Amino acid sequence: MLTYFSELKGGYATIERPELAWSLSGNPLEKNCAEDSLDRTCQTRVTSSHCSRLLAMARETDMQPSHLKATMSAIESAAGYPLEAGKSHPPRAARAPRPPRPNYRNIHRFPLPVNVHHVPSVIPHNPLSIISVALSYLTFLVSPPHQKVYSACFDSATSSVHVTDEKTIRALWEMGFFGKGSLSRSEPNWLEQEKKRRGLMGGSTVEEATRKRRAERRQLKLERARHEKLAVEERLRVEAAARESGSQSGLHVVEAADSTATPAERFSVKKAMEARFLERRQQAMQNREAASSSDQQQSLGDLTNSPSSPSANSQSLPVSEHTDHILDDDLDLDTIENEEHLQLSNEETFFLVYALGALSIVDRASNAIIPTPALFDLLRRHSYYPRRPENRPLEVDDPFMISYVVYHHFRSLGWVVRSGVKFGTDYLLYNRGPVFSHAEFAVIIIPSYSHQFWSSTEALKRHAADKQSRSWWWLHCVNRVQAQVKKSLVICYVDIPPPSEVAADVGGQLNRYRVREFLLRRWVPNRTRD
Amino acid sequence: MADADEDAVRGTAVEATQIETDLSDETQDFRLLNHLNFLTDTSSSSLPRRGEKDFEPNPTLLQADVLSSSRQAMHNALAHPRLHNPKNQVIAIYAPDGPGTSASPPHASSQISLNSSPPSSTKEQNTVKPPGRGAMVSPDACVYVPNPKGQYFKSMGQADRKGVVWLLPEEALYLLERGSLNIRWPASITGGSTSSGPDEPGAQSSEDDDDLSIPMSLQAAYTCLIGRGGLTLERFAVFSSLKRIGYAIVRAPGWNDSRTADDSSDTHDSPNAYTQPLLRGAGLAGIFGRIFKWINDPRCTSSLAAGPVIGYGIHRSYADIYQKLALIPWYDPTLTPQRDPLDTTAPFRIIFHVYKPSTPIKKTALPTPDFRIAVINTREHDSIPTLDQLGALLESTPLDVPRGEKMERHLYMRLRHGYRNVIMVVVDQGVTSFLRVADAAFGKERIYEAANAPMGAKKGGNYRKKKR
Repeated sequence: MLTYFSELKGGYATIERPELAWSLSGNPLEKNCAEDSLDRTCQTRVTSSHCSRLLAMARETDMQPSHLKATMSAIESAAGYPLEAGKSHPPRAARAPRPPRPNYRNIHRFPLPVNVHHVPSVIPHNPLSIISVALSYLTFLVSPPHQKVYSACFDSATSSVHVTDEKTIRALWEMGFFGKGSLSRSEPNWLEQEKKRRGLMGGSTVEEATRKRRAERRQLKLERARHEKLAVEERLRVEAAARESGSQSGLHVVEAADSTATPAERFSVKKAMEARFLERRQQAMQNREAASSSDQQQSLGDLTNSPSSPSANSQSLPVSEHTDHILDDDLDLDTIENEEHLQLSNEETFFLVYALGALSIVDRASNAIIPTPALFDLLRRHSYYPRRPENRPLEVDDPFMISYVVYHHFRSLGWVVRSGVKFGTDYLLYNRGPVFSHAEFAVIIIPSYSHQFWSSTEALKRHAADKQSRSWWWLHCVNRVQAQVKKSLVICYVDIPPPSEVAADVGGQLNRYRVREFLLRRWVPNRTRD
Repeated sequence: MADADEDAVRGTAVEATQIETDLSDETQDFRLLNHLNFLTDTSSSSLPRRGEKDFEPNPTLLQADVLSSSRQAMHNALAHPRLHNPKNQVIAIYAPDGPGTSASPPHASSQISLNSSPPSSTKEQNTVKPPGRGAMVSPDACVYVPNPKGQYFKSMGQADRKGVVWLLPEEALYLLERGSLNIRWPASITGGSTSSGPDEPGAQSSEDDDDLSIPMSLQAAYTCLIGRGGLTLERFAVFSSLKRIGYAIVRAPGWNDSRTADDSSDTHDSPNAYTQPLLRGAGLAGIFGRIFKWINDPRCTSSLAAGPVIGYGIHRSYADIYQKLALIPWYDPTLTPQRDPLDTTAPFRIIFHVYKPSTPIKKTALPTPDFRIAVINTREHDSIPTLDQLGALLESTPLDVPRGEKMERHLYMRLRHGYRNVIMVVVDQGVTSFLRVADAAFGKERIYEAANAPMGAKKGGNYRKKKR
């Protein structure tokens, strides 16, 4: 275990950025999604089968219309959705519906924080199209569209860039998923979270769901440990008693060892989870039945309007109690101050500044904008730990160069690149963004020194070997973790050029690095036999 | 269709976890061995059940007893004598000098006396000698079967002109291990037979020879065959494990570590395999493109030196922006020609060609292999390959472009399949891991142009469109 962790920590990007190590960025809606859908399918399956059986019974016995109506309403209340006679609706979840998701497709419709203005295309046989093009050009000429340049400041102590302006934070997150909230898991939503925590807003955040799930799981594990302890104690007592009683103890124990009955009854987390789920469902059913029976006395019409009967799990959240206070506490909204800022990694910053021109970095001390070449130099110096002083020259293979080359490469291909610290890799690649889908690829970066310059002298050879060597164990560890979290591992080699004699500009320098990706995954011979 | 299987299985979370919790990875409950039919009797028909795991030691006698009974079961199973019916065994003879001229039966060599060389010198010549009289027989083969019969010789062994099947050391050892072969010491070593050379396959009465010759023990076979002609224990482990599952395996040209490419023209490290994004605008088309861009982009302030790469102008579309962003040269696997398999560095070269059990095989005309395998011993090469080594290894395989209807539709599947692929088997003191390495050309997939970006439910990263 120890080696495993040390291997993981030896990951390339993690060591150099201590400010990122403590808080893991990433995907807001992880596991609970899958768990929920699993629950849901189980429930719907049960209820729909119930209903169809009841319906069939009703048809068979040829009930009176009024009777049928009554049973139907009972079924409806049990199933949680209205039914039409003889026709089955698309199954819907029986539990309280989740709050609708925000329209991510609309929120994140721009992949980069850069404005794009479409110009109508010229169609040769349609003179009107030329006019429309000319018109659009004219409008651009009269009132040139303004490209917003956001600003942020560089923090030397944590070697990261802070964005504190609310609008900038939203813009950078929504258009391209840049940065992470300093107090949130990924999306900067600390304020919202805090409001929910204080009961000012309905619903629950993903962080809360995770916390709850973890607490539950910890409880179950403790329970399991307790059960095991009890079982061991019990066993010891039995054995002691047997030893007292005499020589037949050996016989007895051997017998016990051979039988597999005893261990089978032991406590397991999975079983406990199942048991808990069943219990919860039963309770929900009971609640619903009770509710429906009371409602039936009132009227039938009301029933169809309130399909969501109080379910067992809504009680666990204090939200419902607080909903009344929302109106009163409107003033309170202003009193909470947003204490969160957006953290940009150095690669993200440089990409925004150099590649897109959408960001300008302000020096904290002098309050002046840092020009791009100076920023490049600054970030490179900060990629060493401790920071490389001004009087020492930079190297072609400094960590920032290598990681930025890979970052830029994947960004320029349209991937959303985010840090992969939480899985022991350098980057994670999202298609479009973390709110849309899980990352499919996890990238580890390995420098390569294939140019003959690096094998020209002994010292250079040693340097190259030192920098590019990774142990097989490390590779297996990383690969195993990626397989567990269902990601494909990408090994990205960055070919380091020899140091250049002439001073090149930023673009010229970046252009000399070359990138080659390999995909690695376990091959299981048993499964490719056909 | 490795990918199709993988993808189908990866669909649900439950199944996916089953993949990774491979039963073979876990420590086994050896008490199950007690319930195996061949050990006890054939009457019990119930399947053995797995018990529950103890995670930490506790002072109960029960645990100690379970442990000791499990250990005993393992010892019992190991101590169980392996009996093989001699009727199913094929007699083979060990020929330490290989299939050279000396191994040929005396009467044959007398017919073609020109070809024969003194037996003493054959040992030195073994490695460099061109294939002997049987054109198909590898010089490394050292066990021959006078009367080949049975199913094993469909995919193993090479027959010389006389109809004698020669087995490579790994093939002979594998057959010996599974009890299908009975290797005899040659008469030249035991000195039992009257003839000076190795005994003759068909000329004399073979029954007499069988009685007289001495069978080789398993230990002796390991001693004689491992280390012969480049066969290491690691390579044999890979060979036998795949063979046992049913794959057919043949040696690839890169088997011999010392062999190198004939023309050592250093064609690798050619930069043409990498795209040059900054130079792409050259030529007449480039000029026109630039003029057009200039018209389109009146206030182009793009600057690679300091300014934003994409410029401050009015951007027409995101695809344009992404194209301007392409700065870093990336490797395009379709641009490199296939490399000579021998032009690779020693452990990172293909030594086995593997065929699926379903692939029909003809020994004389082998089809293109289903998998190509390189075997690496981590105790000799303790760090993962460098770009040069891995690149050369992949370039020595033919281009395997992701094709097919499914691949067209699924971006992730295409990327996972890659353009070339090879299987690296990493053997760490007996622990074998198979790794599939593929040349993924991310640069070939412009996902910013694709409209079918994943939307909706997030299910294990494996996006499937919902049917409406």
